[in-house]
Amino acid sequence: MTLAGFPAMWQFARMEAQTFLTYRVNLGLQLLGILLQVYLLKVVWTAVYEGRTEVDGIALGTLIAYLTLANLQVWAIYPQTAEVLPPRIQSGAIALDLARPIGLLVQLIWRSVGATLGLVALVVVALPLAAVLGSLRPPASPEAASLYVISLLLGYGITLAIGILLGLVAFWTLETHGITILYHFVNQFFAGALVPLWFFPDWLRTVAELLPFQTQAFLPLSIYFGRLVGTDALRAIGVQVVWLVILWLAAGLVWRAAIHRVVIQGG
Amino acid sequence: MIAPSSIIRVSHLVKEFRTPKRAPGILGGLRTLFTREQNVVRAVDGVNFEIAEGELVGYLGRNGAGKSTTIKMLTGILVPTSGEVVVDGLTPWRDRQRNALNIGVVFGQRTQLWWDLPLVESFELIRRMYRMDLPTYRGELDRVVDLLEMGEYLRTPVRQLSLGQRMRGDLAAAILYRPRILYLDEPTVGVDVLAKQRIREFIAEANRADGTTVLLTTHDLRDVERLCRRIVVIERGRILFDGGVDELKTKYSPGRRIVVEVAGLEGPIELPGTEEIRREGSRVWLRFDPTRTPIAPLIGQLTSRYAVTDLTLEEADLEEVVRLIFAEQSGVKP
Repeated sequence: MTLAGFPAMWQFARMEAQTFLTYRVNLGLQLLGILLQVYLLKVVWTAVYEGRTEVDGIALGTLIAYLTLANLQVWAIYPQTAEVLPPRIQSGAIALDLARPIGLLVQLIWRSVGATLGLVALVVVALPLAAVLGSLRPPASPEAASLYVISLLLGYGITLAIGILLGLVAFWTLETHGITILYHFVNQFFAGALVPLWFFPDWLRTVAELLPFQTQAFLPLSIYFGRLVGTDALRAIGVQVVWLVILWLAAGLVWRAAIHRVVIQGG
Repeated sequence: MIAPSSIIRVSHLVKEFRTPKRAPGILGGLRTLFTREQNVVRAVDGVNFEIAEGELVGYLGRNGAGKSTTIKMLTGILVPTSGEVVVDGLTPWRDRQRNALNIGVVFGQRTQLWWDLPLVESFELIRRMYRMDLPTYRGELDRVVDLLEMGEYLRTPVRQLSLGQRMRGDLAAAILYRPRILYLDEPTVGVDVLAKQRIREFIAEANRADGTTVLLTTHDLRDVERLCRRIVVIERGRILFDGGVDELKTKYSPGRRIVVEVAGLEGPIELPGTEEIRREGSRVWLRFDPTRTPIAPLIGQLTSRYAVTDLTLEEADLEEVVRLIFAEQSGVKP
């Protein structure tokens, strides 16, 4: 990835965003579904709190704002690479991707970035509705805000790598629907989008902390709401960096194996 | 054909595809998961050829003969099982991206254009990928749009284009940056006569004016006759013929065919220079060699001697040429 290649990569992102927004009605409905889920979570959690203002040191208001942001975040940074690649492998369109002077993974990364930017734009438009159906709160401090941005970007880097790994599986299996549905569920749960990790029983919390999914929502938002500060926040970011390196190394290795398995479907 | 200035060099090239052997029945799929038995198909089986810079070569063969697989190895998309490919000093699959800068590719069955976006967006991507400055790009785009008559639909989303329009779009995308080599895999498949004509002229022009090396696969012999001086024929993964178009025609031409409907015909049609090859009711297929037996007198004789009610001429088709070559190679009379 060199600087000179950037205009082409940006064009990939731009075109993918445009393609995504061609289907904005479909995306709007998806987003509405997410916001309804947020609303239902609010109803249920409010009932669970039964008029208490705090459970385990977590205020109800903080919890609702956390769930709102967590769900929007998980939706917007969903690894589009997992969705882009398999149909191209199934149809043989991958042949033309491979004939380009830009590496396949770089193309995929930038296409994903474009898709995500399109989704983020929709989320920003929908923020007022999110404030009504869920709740929104500003970050705990300017420091928390800037560390949150770093943590979110690292989380996005991790999600890209996971998406590439999921997509590359199609070189072996052609079909990846089962795996992506499984990923959806596991990621949503262990990222803490339904229940924050604060409320997990100890053993489950340990499991969640050993998995990369908490880096998608729980870690960045813990920083955002000031639950992780100072060295704790930096340690969380360190964990993300470690995952980022591990998953990208894995993606690189799998890609090297995949390239020898390329078969162009449909002749 | 060994030329010192070969830009493409293919030697002992082999590509095998492995698929797990599938047991029949409902449980077959399950058993497939646990068996290590594989079917091995040699799609390309020891291919050798060289192409000199500036040549325009037709690469022919039946469906599944190994044409596309060869092209995909030349472009670096597929990794060969064994053998060697060198294109302009590079091994395509190892130097995929650098190789991509030298080549333009059209796969007639697929598109590199972005389905939901206006055609011109895909060209903008090409401009940036191949690092063309704006004035050069505008000049090239104007030239190509003009030659292929694409002006009307530059701003139309690709999914709304007809097949012929889309194909011209793909051809333009492959050539905007003036690559040294063009691989065209069935660039005229499914398009109408007029669009075909335009595409042929465009390819000929690129080869003639820019000296672009072109490797073309097609099922349409007229593409080949119009464009290529040299032909390589592949069958079951092996090269059967490599030589001039004229040589191919004189050596293997199945001749032209005349189809006549003759009322109340009994016995064979006997005309010097023709051979009856098929008969269905009152319809008779006759084969003749137009270089030795001129058409006009032949038709005259036919109509004066027999009660001909209908008469059509059929072109020699590629399938038959390839069949003849194949038959000769395996020592069987066609």
